Amino acid sequence: MSDKTTPIRGNPGWAGETGDFEHLTEADVRGVAHVGKRPVAGGVPGASCSYPFQLADKHPDAVLFEGPYAERLEKMRSRYPTSRGALLPVLNLAQEVRGHLSPEAMASVAEVLDLPPALVRGVATFYTMYNKRAVGRYLIQVCTNVSCNLCGADDVVAAFLEATGCEPGEISGDGLFTVIEAECLGACGFPTAVQINERYFENVSAGDVPDILDRLRHEAAIAPGAG
Amino acid sequence: MAYPYAHEKETRVLTAHFGEPDARTLEGWTKRGGYAALRKALDMSPDDVIEVVKSSGLRGRGGAGFPTGVKWSFMPKGDARKPHYLLINADESEPGAFKDRELCRWTPHQMLEGALIGAWAIGAAHVYVYMRGEFFEPAQIVAKAIEEIYAARIAGPDIMGSGVSIDVTLHLGAGAYICGEETALMNSLEGRRGQPRIKPPFPAAAGAFGQPTTINNVETLCAVPHIVSRGGDWYRSFGTEKSPGTKLFNMSGHLVRRGNFEFPLGFSLRELIYDVCGGIRDGRTLKAVIPGGSSVPILHADEIDIALDYESVARAGTMLGTASVIVMDDRTNMVKQVRRIVEFYAHESCGQCTPCREGTSWLARILRRIETGHGRPDDIETLISLGRNMVGTTICVLSDSAAAPILSSIEKFRDEYDALIGTAEPAAAAV
Amino acid sequence: METVNCTINGTSVEVSKGTRIIEAAEHAGIGIAHYCYHAGLSAPAMCRMCLVEVEGAPKLVPACVTTVGPDQVIHTESEKAREARRGTLEFYLANHPLDCPICDKSGECRLQDFVHAEGRKHGRSIEPKRVLGQDDFGGDILYDGDRCIMCTRCVRFTREISQSSALDVVQRGSRSVIDTFFDHGTEGDPFAGNVVDICPVGALLSKDFLHKARVWDLDHTPSVCTSCSQGCNIRIDSRDNLVARLKPRTNPDVNSWWMCDYGRLRYEWMNAPDRLDQPLVHTDAAQLVPVTWKAAALDLVDRLGAADSPGVVLIGSPFLSNEDNGLLLQVAKALGETDAIYRSPRTDDEVVCPGFPKLARRRDLAANGRGLDALGFRRVGNDTATGGLPDVAGRILIVAGDPLADAPADYGADALVFVALAHHRTPALAAASMVLPITTHAESDGTFTNFEGRVQRFWPALDAPAGARPAWQVAGVLLAGLGAGQAPPDAGRAFLMLARLNDGFEHLSYEVIGTHGELLRVPALIDTADGD
Repeated sequence: MSDKTTPIRGNPGWAGETGDFEHLTEADVRGVAHVGKRPVAGGVPGASCSYPFQLADKHPDAVLFEGPYAERLEKMRSRYPTSRGALLPVLNLAQEVRGHLSPEAMASVAEVLDLPPALVRGVATFYTMYNKRAVGRYLIQVCTNVSCNLCGADDVVAAFLEATGCEPGEISGDGLFTVIEAECLGACGFPTAVQINERYFENVSAGDVPDILDRLRHEAAIAPGAG
Repeated sequence: MAYPYAHEKETRVLTAHFGEPDARTLEGWTKRGGYAALRKALDMSPDDVIEVVKSSGLRGRGGAGFPTGVKWSFMPKGDARKPHYLLINADESEPGAFKDRELCRWTPHQMLEGALIGAWAIGAAHVYVYMRGEFFEPAQIVAKAIEEIYAARIAGPDIMGSGVSIDVTLHLGAGAYICGEETALMNSLEGRRGQPRIKPPFPAAAGAFGQPTTINNVETLCAVPHIVSRGGDWYRSFGTEKSPGTKLFNMSGHLVRRGNFEFPLGFSLRELIYDVCGGIRDGRTLKAVIPGGSSVPILHADEIDIALDYESVARAGTMLGTASVIVMDDRTNMVKQVRRIVEFYAHESCGQCTPCREGTSWLARILRRIETGHGRPDDIETLISLGRNMVGTTICVLSDSAAAPILSSIEKFRDEYDALIGTAEPAAAAV
Repeated sequence: METVNCTINGTSVEVSKGTRIIEAAEHAGIGIAHYCYHAGLSAPAMCRMCLVEVEGAPKLVPACVTTVGPDQVIHTESEKAREARRGTLEFYLANHPLDCPICDKSGECRLQDFVHAEGRKHGRSIEPKRVLGQDDFGGDILYDGDRCIMCTRCVRFTREISQSSALDVVQRGSRSVIDTFFDHGTEGDPFAGNVVDICPVGALLSKDFLHKARVWDLDHTPSVCTSCSQGCNIRIDSRDNLVARLKPRTNPDVNSWWMCDYGRLRYEWMNAPDRLDQPLVHTDAAQLVPVTWKAAALDLVDRLGAADSPGVVLIGSPFLSNEDNGLLLQVAKALGETDAIYRSPRTDDEVVCPGFPKLARRRDLAANGRGLDALGFRRVGNDTATGGLPDVAGRILIVAGDPLADAPADYGADALVFVALAHHRTPALAAASMVLPITTHAESDGTFTNFEGRVQRFWPALDAPAGARPAWQVAGVLLAGLGAGQAPPDAGRAFLMLARLNDGFEHLSYEVIGTHGELLRVPALIDTADGD
């Protein structure tokens, strides 16, 4: 048990960074190896809603609900006694494919679930994870709520904004980043918590920001088309 | 011990296998005795299961502390025509709380086993895990666990050869704190805006999809297999008479060691801060503690000699809530942190009830003004008055939650407010 | 029915079990302030205005959803309840623009009312107000987000009653607004206009009424909509003798709280200028020249009395009252064998209100077709209210209300006598022996009979042109002049004469009909197949 205050350079932000996980790797902590790559069609219906809906790989014009996505949609629908019940998962699915929920995407969701479009808009705008406009390849959400705030979250936000050169909510010039402040991410013991697309970065300090961005730029360079 | 956030004084029941990657797998969990409790429960009658949980005195870990067994007993019996639902509240979003995320990602089967036992006890044929959308990693792990238990026939039709069918569905939220409120959670599950419902009807009568429903917190359900395995008396051997059992304490803020620590209820707050968590960082001194998540009244540094159980904390004028302890050192700008908390509630207010919709954002604006030195002398009285008008006047308690830190911080740290009033510049205090 | 007793503000009230406090209070004559509650909609209990104190309850309870418990002691005016309302009203005003001087709702705004009654004298907010601006919802509806108090009555109306679900709350918390689906409007919702009525503040506005009048300058007159045979109970709001708007008037048997936009926006005909205002007589020089009513009446009695008539053609109007049509029919019958006909517009579709299916915009697009049927008229012509005009050669022709828009210019020229009772001078009246100016439904007392045989009263909302008379009065004078009866002194007594034509009217009088109407006793007699 040690209290490390120096971040691990080069790979800051994974769950156990300040602590000493001894023999555990990041993959162990995140459970990546155990989970593996889950099928796009959703796997077991009960788990079909588990997909991330903020991916790096997204296409604003992608066709919704086709192929394996159609299969996943059906699985989602099968899990609720009403078609409306599947609304959140299906909105998630639309955002996963397109990156954000345009009016057309909301209309498509309304159509496949046979719901009034205004209702879909009302629901989509209630929840903050639905992007109502396009975001960068990496959506960087910095928790600035109390536990993180006490530990320097404001500096982390400022560092991200400075390093990406964009205004909050805007897409950086290279199309890679959008930085926003987020409410509590539920990782208060690991301040500052930052969610980048579906992945949590924890114990992030302002000084870690360049390393994190470098890592993301590297990822984008080696896999431009995929998350 | 592989898990770094462990302390030798802890009583590790729910967290015993944190830091063990193979405890996530069905095989690993079974090896650790997993699903024996479910097997045992399926051999008991639902009423007997409820009795065991009642006898343990287990109280809901989502914040309200309502006895779980009693809650289960509210579910109508013998009405097979109406589907019953068990909802797992994994929408952990209260600032300061981060226990359910850890429980889900290290021990998903612990939660699912508890849920299946609960579903059997209340006659639910479908369990929904309502997890906040941000929890990608825990969701993937829980999804994997669901796939494993379906494959092993622990979920789905005829679980463990018992003839009982229980489905499990993972449902992800999409970013709304209020969906942690049980009636808002039901609305959200139904594909609606996550707005709390007026009660009655209570969920046990007409909950999700209009059917009898029970909503339990992740941590609550994680305790259930242990109680079923070892009995109510065993569980009562931890904690206090009225607050039995162990609890995860979510330690955040200016502590040397932060993280989740499991202790019997009634553990000393001072010991938790100074011993378990190593005291205040950077050699600073303690200024204030929020003991139960951002929505509960703040304690002054000289009020921390209390036992952390529901009753003792209530006697100290605050609440145990989710046992999310936020520790603030002497450099903390109280007004700024209260403002940040209130802005959170303004951001998360669903907007139904006027006192909350208008009040939270109004309070935040006043606080922002005071923080930046533009406060007026009567602002503080206005804050108090508005805060009081927001208590008990709305459908849910989000409004009360926004008022609590304001009212308590003004009571205990009024000098900090006064010092900022009318100053041209924000005060020098940082962070 | 099982009942419970409770005490509200010291008054003991007995209500049926399951009654909500707000209804029980109303029963006892005690009003409880509210915004989101509307008797015709579900109650979300979110405006927090109706919080009342119930002895023994830990918190104030919302009166709109809490049912009365046995022996409950309820206080609506206790210090706690008043203080809660005062506090909540202050929150309502925190972002409200306070632009009453330019708000159409001013004078009938519940926010204004309650703040005046119980609000703080001075608001404490010095923060900049949230500005959301206006949004055109399409159709007749304009939304002012800054005035909106988020009671969601409109959302619930489009969900529960019109069931178009055109409106929803968008965003959350203090950023919430009401909106449609982006550029979709409310046009597809034939009942959307009702949201303006139920909006308790100036957030939803009628474009038609926008900045037209201050509501305290309006006169309110109970009436019946003329645009179809549903007979929605309405209120005519008029100013300076012009109809400014129509509003639905509550009648649970006909339209509850609602009316359709088709009817709501069809009132301009009542304001039409160039009305006939004195009797005209055809001279030998083939001109219509004005005469006095006395001269006209004497002349007409002479002409009709002298005519040795082989028969009478009476063309009535489904936009004129039972009294008008009925008494003219009695005149006609006194003159000889009568062919009583009328023409009325129809359409193919019925527009039913899904949440209150009793209400529909009926296929029959006139107010009183059923009334005319009951009196013994026969519908002729086609669905555009044209055609079907009979040959009147040698017969007496009486036309009331029908503008004969499709008639040839010399129609009626070969009639023995051609009397037209009209609102306007139209080309088809060129051949009339005499043209008599009559009042419209908006200017007179009378009754219509709706599609199901419900006889409903209306009252005069406008002053008629100086020389115009109700047709029933003209008919009464003729009856007296012809020695066929007495001229009734008022519409109520004219109504009593209808029983001569159909004894289904026998049990009815203006007193019996009241403001909510009453069914004809023998509706079977007046049954006309829908297709006709």
